[in-house]
Amino acid sequence: MKKGLTKWFTGMMIGTLLLTTAGCGGGSAPAANSVSEGAGTAKIGVVAYLSGGGAAYGQSQKEGLDLAKDEINALGKVKIELVYEDSRGNNTEAINAVNKLINKDNVVALIGPTLSGEMFASGPIANQSEVPIMGTSTTAEGITDIGEFVFRNALPESSAVPQAVKMAVEKYNLKKVAIMYSSNNDWAVSGYKTMAQALKDNGVEVLATETFADKDTDFSAQLTKISSLKPDAVMVSSLYQEAALVLKKAREIGITVPFVGTNGFNSPELIKIAGQAADGAIVASPWYPGKESEKITKFVTDYKAKYNKVPDQFAAQSYDALYIYASALEKAGSSTDRAKLRDSLATIKDFQGVTGKFAFDEKRNPLMDATVLIVKDGQFTELK
Amino acid sequence: MFWQQLVNGLTLGSTYSLVALGYTLIMGVLNIINMAHGEVFMFGAFVGLFLVNYLKVNIFVAMAGAMVASALLGILLEMLALRPLRRRAVSDLAPLISTIGVSIFLENLALKIFGPQSQAFPAGALSGVQLQLGPIRITLVQIVILGISFGLMFVLRFWLSKTRVGKAIRTTAESIETANLLGINTNKIILLTVALASALGGIAGVLVGLSINAVEPTMGLSMGLKGLAVLILGGMGNITGAMLGGLILGIAEVFTVAYGASSYRDAVAFGIIILILFIRPQGLFGKRQGGRF
Amino acid sequence: MDIILNQYYLQIVIFVLVNAILGVSIYMTLSTGQLSLGNAGFMSIGAYTCAILTVKAGFPVYLAIPIGGAAASFISLIIGYPALRLTGIYLAIATLGFGEVVRVIILNLKITNGALGISGIPTLGTKISKMLSSFGLSRFGGLTAQQTSNLLVLVVLIFILAFLVFFCTRLNRSRVGRAFASIKADESAAEAMGINTTYYKLLAFALGAFIAGMAGGLSAHLTFFIGPKDFAYHRTVEILSFAVLGGSDLIIGPIVGALLLTMLPELLRSASEYRLMIYGALMVIMMAFRPQGLISEETVRFWKRKLGRRIKQ
Repeated sequence: MKKGLTKWFTGMMIGTLLLTTAGCGGGSAPAANSVSEGAGTAKIGVVAYLSGGGAAYGQSQKEGLDLAKDEINALGKVKIELVYEDSRGNNTEAINAVNKLINKDNVVALIGPTLSGEMFASGPIANQSEVPIMGTSTTAEGITDIGEFVFRNALPESSAVPQAVKMAVEKYNLKKVAIMYSSNNDWAVSGYKTMAQALKDNGVEVLATETFADKDTDFSAQLTKISSLKPDAVMVSSLYQEAALVLKKAREIGITVPFVGTNGFNSPELIKIAGQAADGAIVASPWYPGKESEKITKFVTDYKAKYNKVPDQFAAQSYDALYIYASALEKAGSSTDRAKLRDSLATIKDFQGVTGKFAFDEKRNPLMDATVLIVKDGQFTELK
Repeated sequence: MFWQQLVNGLTLGSTYSLVALGYTLIMGVLNIINMAHGEVFMFGAFVGLFLVNYLKVNIFVAMAGAMVASALLGILLEMLALRPLRRRAVSDLAPLISTIGVSIFLENLALKIFGPQSQAFPAGALSGVQLQLGPIRITLVQIVILGISFGLMFVLRFWLSKTRVGKAIRTTAESIETANLLGINTNKIILLTVALASALGGIAGVLVGLSINAVEPTMGLSMGLKGLAVLILGGMGNITGAMLGGLILGIAEVFTVAYGASSYRDAVAFGIIILILFIRPQGLFGKRQGGRF
Repeated sequence: MDIILNQYYLQIVIFVLVNAILGVSIYMTLSTGQLSLGNAGFMSIGAYTCAILTVKAGFPVYLAIPIGGAAASFISLIIGYPALRLTGIYLAIATLGFGEVVRVIILNLKITNGALGISGIPTLGTKISKMLSSFGLSRFGGLTAQQTSNLLVLVVLIFILAFLVFFCTRLNRSRVGRAFASIKADESAAEAMGINTTYYKLLAFALGAFIAGMAGGLSAHLTFFIGPKDFAYHRTVEILSFAVLGGSDLIIGPIVGALLLTMLPELLRSASEYRLMIYGALMVIMMAFRPQGLISEETVRFWKRKLGRRIKQ
C-alpha cells in the first residue's frame, strides 16, 4: 500500500513538473500587458490592514480613500475605482494581495500596504512588475529605496520627529529626559532611533531607555523607574494605544512633565483613551485638523458627516494620496498606462492637500511641513 | 523605589493569579489546558464594559453580569468543543487543539463585533481612585483585585474540600470512570467546573479591564499565555500554586524591568515555563503524584 | 497557459509549496505522537540564519538554506533533550514557550536588526536565474524575467517537496519508521520492547526542526523581508491547522491540509475577514468529528479498493 502511494505521488510530481516545463516552452504572451486600453475608469488597488489587531489603521485608510473617491468621481475629471485587499498585517498576505491586484485585477496603480514591513515584502513585486505603489503610512527608513515605482506620501519619521524634539527642547528647556518605546514594532523602533539622534543633536542627556511591547497593558514598572530619575520630559515612540496607556499610568503615579511622541501620538484616539492624562503630549504632524484652511474644514466636516468621527492622520494621508493619484492620472492622460502614471506621479509639485503643501523629492519621498502640536484641555493645539 | 516596584509586581501578579485560577480548575478536573480561557477572560471584560457603558449599571452588578455571561460561554465551550471529544477515545492533544481553535475563533469574532480599538470604562467606575501609604502608591482597583483573588482562592479551596459538590468535583478529578461508578453525574460536574472556571475568567476580565482601563479583543491572547505560564509555575491543578505562581511571575516581570532589561520582559513568563517544565514538571507547589486540589 | 503563467497564481502555488514543507515538518514530530508548537520558532531560526548568511556574509543561497535548517536542528537538539522527557500537552506548552523566547531574543539581538527585521533579501528566483544564465541558459522563449524566475522557484520547491515525501516514505518503511510508529502507538510499550524512545523522539524532533528551518530559509528568500512578527503564535497555529485538517497519519495529510488552507483563503478573498474565524471553527469541528484529519490510512485503503475495483471491471 505504501509503495503504491509513493508511486502515485512521484507520478503526480512528475506530472506537475512536465506541466510547468511545458509552460516554459510554450511561451505565451505575458499577462502583465493585457491591461485593457482606452480611457475611462482607472482601477487602483488598495492593500490595507483591514482585519486583525491593527484593523483600526486600515479602516481609517479605507474611510479616507472612500471619501476621496466619491469626491473625485463627482468632480468628473477622472474616474477612479478602488479594489480593496486585506493584508491582515501579514507579509505573505500583502504579497498575495499585491500580486492579485496587479495580475488578476490589472490595476493601474497601488495604494498601501499599511505597515512598513508589508511594504518591504510586497513593494519589490510592484516594482518588478512596474506598477506604481504609494505608501500612505509607511514611515520607516529605506522604503523608497526599493525602486523607481515605490512612492510614499507618509512623512518619514526622520523629518517629523526632530522638529518636535527641537521645539520641545527650546520651549521647555529640556536638559535630561527618559525614553520609552515599543521594541517589537518596527515602526516604533525606527521612530526611537530618530528620536535618540535628535536628542543627541540637541545636547540633551538621556537618563534611561525603557522598552515595552505592542499590546502591553502594564507600564508601572518602567514608569516607576523613570519617575525616580526625575526627568524634564519623557519621549515615547509607540502606537497610540500603548502611548495612551503610558500617559495614563504616568499621570497616575505623578509624572507631570511633558511627553514628546512620534507619529503614534497623533490620533484623536490618544485623547479618547487617555482623557485628561493626554494633556502635555507633544507631537509633530503633517496632519492637524484644527488648522485654519477651507480644505481641511471641509474634509473634517464631510468625514464627520459620513463616519461620525474626526479623521485621524491615516485617513487624512490616504485621502490626500488618492487626490495625488487623481492629479497624476489627469496629467498622464491615460487610465491604464502604468509607466506614464509613474512618470507623471514623480513630477507632482505644489499639490495642496489636507496635510498641507506637497511634492515628491527625487527619491519619491514627500516634501512637506509638519506642525508641532500639543494636547491642551483634551484638544490638539499648535505649540507656539 | 524597591517597595513601590514590589507593590507593582504584586498587583500585576494578582491579575495573573486571577486568570490562572480558571485554568487550574479546568486542568485539575479535566486534565485539559483550556487554551480558550484567555478569550473567555476578554469576553467577560467586554460584557462588563457593555453593561457599564450602555446599561449604566453599577460596576459590581457589571461584574456579576460578566460572570454569568462568561459562565454561559463556558457551558457552550464545554458542550461544543470538549464533550464531543470525551465521547471517543482521542489523544490528550485533541482538547488542546480544539480549545486553540475556540480561542482563535473567539478572538476574531470579537475583532469583528467590537472592532480593534481599545475601549475604556467611564471615569469613576472604581478606577482612578488611589491611596498613598508612605512611599507606596496603590490604586483602589488594585486592592480590590488583590482582595478578590485571595478571597476567591480561599472560597474555592473551602468549597472543594468541604461541600458535597466540591467533593464530587474532586472525585471526578481523580478518575471520571470511578466517579461514574459512584453515581456521580460526571457530565454535570464537568459542565459545572467549566462554567465556574469561565465565570472566574469573566470577573478577571472586568477587573483587569478596570485596572488598565483598556478593553480590546487581543487582550485575551497575551493574558492567556501569562495565565498558562502561571499554571505551569504553580503546578497544574493546584489552586494555591496558581495564586502564588501568579504573584511570583508578576514580581519577576516587574523586577526584570526595574533592575534588568525591560526588553526581555516577555521572555520571563516563557522562560519560566521552559525552566519549570525541565526542572520540576509538577510545578513549584505541585506534588509528584496525583492528589490534585 | 495564460492562467498558469499568471504571476499571481504562480505566487500562490509557491506559497502552497512552502506551507506544504512546513506541514511535513509538523508531521515529522507528530509521527512519534509528539506535538511541537515550536515550529514557528524553528522556522524563524532557519529564516534568520539563512538571511543573515546571504545578506551580510554573501553566502550562496543553496548553501545558506541547508545551513539554516541545520541551525534550527542544532537548537532543537539542545532544547529537545530535556523537553522530550515531557509528553503530550506538557511538551506542547514547553515548545510553545520556546517559540516565544526565540521571538523575544530575535527582537533583542543586533544582528537580527530587532523589530526592524531584515529587508532587501535577494529573491530565490533572481538567484536561480543568475546561476542558470552563468551556464548560458538565460531566457526561455517569450517569458518575462519574472515569470521565468517564478517558474524556476516552483520547480526547485517541487523537487524539495518531492524529495521530502520520498524521504519520509522510505523512512516509514525502515527501522526508524517502525520505531516512530510504535512510540506513537504506545510509548511505554515501545520502551518495554527495548526501543530507545528518547533517541527516536529526539531524532523526529530534530528532523522536524530541520525541515521547518529550511522552510524558513526558503520563505525568507521569497518574501524579501523577515521580521520577528512573521513567526509569532499565530504562525504556529497556522502550521498546526495544516496537520489538523489534512491529518497526520500519512505524509500526504498535512500536504493536502496546507494546499487547502492556502488555496481556500485566496479563492474566498472577499471573505478574508472571516479567514481566521474559519480556521478556528475548523479546528474545533475536525477534533469533534474527525480527529484523524481528512486523510487517514482508512481513507487511502477505501479509495484504493474502490478505484481498484473499477480498474478490474
